[in-house]
Amino acid sequence: MADHIAVHRSGLTMPVVTPRFIDNAWRRGCDFINMDLEDSVPQHMKGYARTLIKDAITNVTKGGAEAFTRINHDLVLADLEGIIWPGLAKVNYPKAEYGEEIQLLDRIISRLEQAGGIRPGTVEIGADIETSVGVANAYDIAAASPRVREFGGAGGYDMSRDLGVEMFVGFDQFVYGKGEVELAALALGLEPHTAPFTANTTGSVGDPDRAFREAEAARKCGFRVGGGLHPNVVEPQTRGFTPTQEEVDEAHQVLEQYRQLEVSGETWAETDGNIIDRYEAARARKLLDWSELCAARDQEKAEAFARVEAAEA
Amino acid sequence: MVPASQPERAVAAPKSNTDVVLLDLVEFVAEQDKPSAREGLVEIVRQVRESGTDVFALVDSELLYADLHACVCPELTGVVVSHLESVAQVEEADSLISKLEDERGIPPGTLEMVFSLDTAQANQDAFEIASASRRITGLTLGRAELVMDLRPEPSGEIHLMQYLMQKLITVAGAIGVPAYGAWWRTPDRGLLATPENTGEAALRGRAIGFKGSFCVLENQVAPMNQGFTPGAQETTEAGKLLESYRAAVSEGTAFIRQGDRIIDSGTALRARLLIDRAAACEAHDKAKVDALAGRPVPAP
Repeated sequence: MADHIAVHRSGLTMPVVTPRFIDNAWRRGCDFINMDLEDSVPQHMKGYARTLIKDAITNVTKGGAEAFTRINHDLVLADLEGIIWPGLAKVNYPKAEYGEEIQLLDRIISRLEQAGGIRPGTVEIGADIETSVGVANAYDIAAASPRVREFGGAGGYDMSRDLGVEMFVGFDQFVYGKGEVELAALALGLEPHTAPFTANTTGSVGDPDRAFREAEAARKCGFRVGGGLHPNVVEPQTRGFTPTQEEVDEAHQVLEQYRQLEVSGETWAETDGNIIDRYEAARARKLLDWSELCAARDQEKAEAFARVEAAEA
Repeated sequence: MVPASQPERAVAAPKSNTDVVLLDLVEFVAEQDKPSAREGLVEIVRQVRESGTDVFALVDSELLYADLHACVCPELTGVVVSHLESVAQVEEADSLISKLEDERGIPPGTLEMVFSLDTAQANQDAFEIASASRRITGLTLGRAELVMDLRPEPSGEIHLMQYLMQKLITVAGAIGVPAYGAWWRTPDRGLLATPENTGEAALRGRAIGFKGSFCVLENQVAPMNQGFTPGAQETTEAGKLLESYRAAVSEGTAFIRQGDRIIDSGTALRARLLIDRAAACEAHDKAKVDALAGRPVPAP
């Protein structure tokens, strides 16, 4: 797994040109806000949208969320020069297709970090796989820069359009591509941004129950990264990606049983139908680490939120 | 698959009717027990081999020198190399085995290697790794679901495993070697699978393209063998199908209809392979019985 483990359980992608979205973003309780310059911004507003990012970073992060920006695939230089400001945590690059593209982004961001007095390596790159070419080059793309720390894609609207497949169906139409992308992430020790398949035949983006079920299933598969388009899904995602107290208690129990196993000199044991071995112990440790990171993140957000409310009172 | 630290269990393993005994130096041997397990390994290999069963050793690519020195002997069929990450490790293992063959009076190239692609990097580079040694006689995912920390989906499938299984089987086909594994579903993880669930995992495994699988408990061997052996009914049906097809071909047609099915050369070939496989399994089972009874076993 990645050395640097960020907590990105919930997030909202929103057009930076829509003031009511940006002004209310800090109240949503997200782990991150993804300010969009791409699909949700009309072509004639692209230049104007870039000029909004600097102030929007301050605005959307005051409740403790991290600020991301999704740039345009074909407007890389102009977009990056407009958005690399202190406080920006990540640049999401859509439709990544070649490792060279990510290397170019890395070089431009490095120059802009230096010019802006930002610590080198601060800004992550989210290389989103949304095309067949991107799937074919997934490993090269993920390996192209140390700024790529979370890696996923090979699903969603753009991918379905690229492949010419239906979007809302009762089966997983992206098995191969998602497998390639996830395997590349795992091989490189990156945080996989993916989830087990759950059928969504309606296209709903704002169903909180569904969001919770998906997040919970993803967490139980070991995944930790969420994100969505509707405020209704923020709280369910945050909750769904956070280990429950029962799971934390079970993890402590597994580790205690594993300690006893190590003393006994055995490599595995069965307890109440469950296996205790080094793999289960590793899972338990990972869950406890994640639980602590989630608690710390929630605390940070709560304190940030309280500061804003106190200042505005 | 028997821990090398349990010699009595290992020597008794052929009685379970297993095709292969895999002497494990990696997964079920505690770190502190590995040195003593290695010390007695050659003797265990010889004793198991006396029963006529093929004997492999499961070795750790990170402990190659110690593990290979401990197991290489004329009676060893080969090694399963686990925790592989690179082509360089395969080349290192191949080279070390060659050296040990030379030192220990084993004809060059005798020992087989099966690669356990249980890490993400090994699966990423599966074709390159599988192509890196001429000793390769099989591929397996080993305990990838544990090494790679893959967990159950709501459907009961282990996340990513269908993709990994298909990739492995495709690479194995491209290299021309069998792929070994079973299609496990939650809550089974091999270790505690009931005989019934083991049989299901083997049946699914055969259906997806695996040729056999390792298991860890003696009572899993019979259902594993059964699942990977074509059944009497399907073998009989394949025979009938082949007979009908041959009769049609002799009359100058390229395909026939059987109900809603089209029987052509491809279908006939599949039937032929199934019949051959059934015959090979039957012959192997007979050879195992003869070997355990101390009767001479004909060369394959």
